[in-house]
Amino acid sequence: MDSLFILIPIALVFSVGAIKLLLWAIDNGQYDDLEKEAWRILMDDQDTSEGRDTD
Amino acid sequence: MSSDSQQHCFHCGEPVPEGIHLSVEIDDVEQPMCCPGCQAVASLITGSGLEAFYRLRTIPNVTPAPPTPGNVYLAFDDPDTSASFVTSLPDGWQQAQLLLGGISCAACTWLIEQDLARQPGLRQPNVNLARQTLSVEFDPAVTKTSAVFQRLLTLGYDPHPWQSQKAVELLEAEQRGALRQLAVAGLAMMQVGMFGIALHAGDIQGIAPEYRSLMRWVSLAIATIVVLYSARSFFRNAWINLRHGRLVMDLPVALAIGLAYLASGWATWNNTGEVYFDSIAMFTFFLLLGRFLERQVRRREYLRQTDLQSLLPVSCLKRVQHRWESIATRQIQNGDILLVRAGEVIPADATVNEGTGAVDEAAFTGEQMPRRVHVNDTVSAGTVLSEGRLEVHVQAGPDNSRLSVMLDLLSRASEQKPGLARLADRVAAWFVGILLCVAALVAAFWSQLDAERAFWITLSVLVVSCPCALALATPTALTAASGWLRRRGLLLTGENTLENLNSISHVVFDKTGTLTQGQFRIRATRADDEVGALGLAAALEQNSQHPIAQAFTGVAPTPGVTGAEVIPGAGIRGLYAGKQLAIGTPTLVREIYSELGDAPDQDAHWVALADEDKPLAWFALEDSLRSDAAAVVQSLQARGLQVELLTGDRSSAGLTLATELGLNDVTTGASPEQKLAHIADLQRRGARVTMVGDGLNDAPVLAAADCAIAVNQATDLAKSSADGILLANSLRPITSAFIVAQRCRQIIWQNIAWALAYNSCAVPMAAAGWVPPWAAAIGMSASSLLVVVNSLRLK
Repeated sequence: MDSLFILIPIALVFSVGAIKLLLWAIDNGQYDDLEKEAWRILMDDQDTSEGRDTD
Repeated sequence: MSSDSQQHCFHCGEPVPEGIHLSVEIDDVEQPMCCPGCQAVASLITGSGLEAFYRLRTIPNVTPAPPTPGNVYLAFDDPDTSASFVTSLPDGWQQAQLLLGGISCAACTWLIEQDLARQPGLRQPNVNLARQTLSVEFDPAVTKTSAVFQRLLTLGYDPHPWQSQKAVELLEAEQRGALRQLAVAGLAMMQVGMFGIALHAGDIQGIAPEYRSLMRWVSLAIATIVVLYSARSFFRNAWINLRHGRLVMDLPVALAIGLAYLASGWATWNNTGEVYFDSIAMFTFFLLLGRFLERQVRRREYLRQTDLQSLLPVSCLKRVQHRWESIATRQIQNGDILLVRAGEVIPADATVNEGTGAVDEAAFTGEQMPRRVHVNDTVSAGTVLSEGRLEVHVQAGPDNSRLSVMLDLLSRASEQKPGLARLADRVAAWFVGILLCVAALVAAFWSQLDAERAFWITLSVLVVSCPCALALATPTALTAASGWLRRRGLLLTGENTLENLNSISHVVFDKTGTLTQGQFRIRATRADDEVGALGLAAALEQNSQHPIAQAFTGVAPTPGVTGAEVIPGAGIRGLYAGKQLAIGTPTLVREIYSELGDAPDQDAHWVALADEDKPLAWFALEDSLRSDAAAVVQSLQARGLQVELLTGDRSSAGLTLATELGLNDVTTGASPEQKLAHIADLQRRGARVTMVGDGLNDAPVLAAADCAIAVNQATDLAKSSADGILLANSLRPITSAFIVAQRCRQIIWQNIAWALAYNSCAVPMAAAGWVPPWAAAIGMSASSLLVVVNSLRLK
């Protein structure tokens, strides 16, 4: 159980990293348009199938 | 394709006029098109292999402008002109920021991005759907700024240079700030929750004190970040309002978070008592999430940029010595000589120097028939030259035009807009006051009885009664209702629209373009040979861009008509089978055939057609009523609403229309100022007014009305001052809005009643000391969940 004294700080470092990453993504404008991103996944799918058709 | 007998354009969804047989093959099916503009755009899209666009889109496209010869964007190739929206990148490429008109759904962003990415010399196109902006990088060695504009125009969108606006920038910054707070609270919640589970499990099955201490300290560290960073806005809001003597929802929220944090911190430091860091983080996260979702709804339309530039052409022709040079509209100065050709928007207030023409001022006056202008007449920025060719002498730059006066009127009207306080806000002030008194009493009582437990019991009271459910009661119901309405074709943009609709007593309609289609149709023809006369008329009218000419677009023109000459404001002359031919006003037609009689009657707008030998026909033209106008007016009247007609048109058409629809209150010939005064007068007499309109001249009135709805084809300015925008070419969603508003209010009352009932049961229990803070947190969440589920019933 002593490992907790090491593992918990490591977990904290990870979460700080995750928060930093998220804040970077927000400041980078990646969340500015939530509406479009919700659609994007469907559209990219369409795009690749179109690509295959023409191949 | 369509179920009813009339075909609808596959691209823009408008009905296909009779006699038009345009089509484009999309996904192996021939699809009907209503005009060459739609056909060109659809062919381009399919030709680029982007047919998937039509399968992806959820809303029909905006009808594109008719193709214009030449590139009107050449002025932007000048680095000085484009400096405000084009920036240079370190690798020699340039980045352009554009504002796009005509984006109707997410599929448009896909189409634009896919198409631009395939163009040589372009990279990283990125459309922001909420802001309706595009950022794209281009290589100046391969392509030019004007080429980017032109490509977007060919795709059927209307590009403008993007200019940043303070208000919009601020809103964007706020949005990012809110998202950052939410992100931190969310991640922190998961971490603290993890340790919270360990601590609760430890309480039950036993835990070594050093591990308990470790987890408490770690939780404290994370909760500190949540309280100082994510919950900051609650503390600030509560404090600012408290200083002004107002009790808001944020006050008990701030108290609960602050006290729970301090108490848990104290318990951690002294290694005693209970800690509630998990509740703090969860509570903060869910409150922030609720507000974030609410903000999203409001932001959508607010971001649409509307100012002078979106109403004026992007560039115009200016005389420099003896040549016409393309300059950006923003560069126009007093005294410039500009050239305006048929179909163009006049870029500045000016007097006519040379030439004659007919100016369509429907946007300003609501009058449909263009005004004829000669040398020395004045023309206004924002009006359209429907015929002729004018050289004009600029009298006022774009910032001092009549149009900008209209914008001033608009901004003043929006300031005077009556504000209705939100139901929840009114309830909240009382609620918070009572709650704080109860908490204080409980604290005083228990500190006498059992000082040790007093603090925790008071905290439980605060947490259990936290007005979370009350705070969610209104926004969730409103969000669900606006989502429902949006799927039925009415986009709500105003914050309080749905609540306001319930108190509406008067519905005021504009005429041209709102109750009517805003387009001339042939109502009657008096001719011996109707088909022959129509063909000849169509052959002549196809040379004109006058609104009257639109009435003939559905007719197949007779071949062989030559030498057509448009006489601005009068009509068109031409040659057919060796004889002169004329269509238009009786005066013009008498120049060809002098014995032409008078028009059959005065009720409609009559146009004459004759050749040298004989009169050929009279056409009665009329703006046709929208097919669902009568039904909507009736259903509104059936709901007990006063329906009125308020139009700028001076002709008798307004009265005829009112009789047809069964409207008693009609005001015709009203200027924008008079319209505004009329609404203000109604409001002074205690009426609550919904205005439905479309034009520039309606914009100030829309802004002043208690609730304003702009129709589908409304000008951007009218849309931006409206609380709701009709998405399809139908008035029916207006009736739905009133029905939904009523249901929405019921749901809100149910939610509030539940929240109050829950609190009146839970608070006494907490005050009696039966509810530990963790149970209080669960109760609070369950109560909130119930409110959300109830709101979802609106779907």
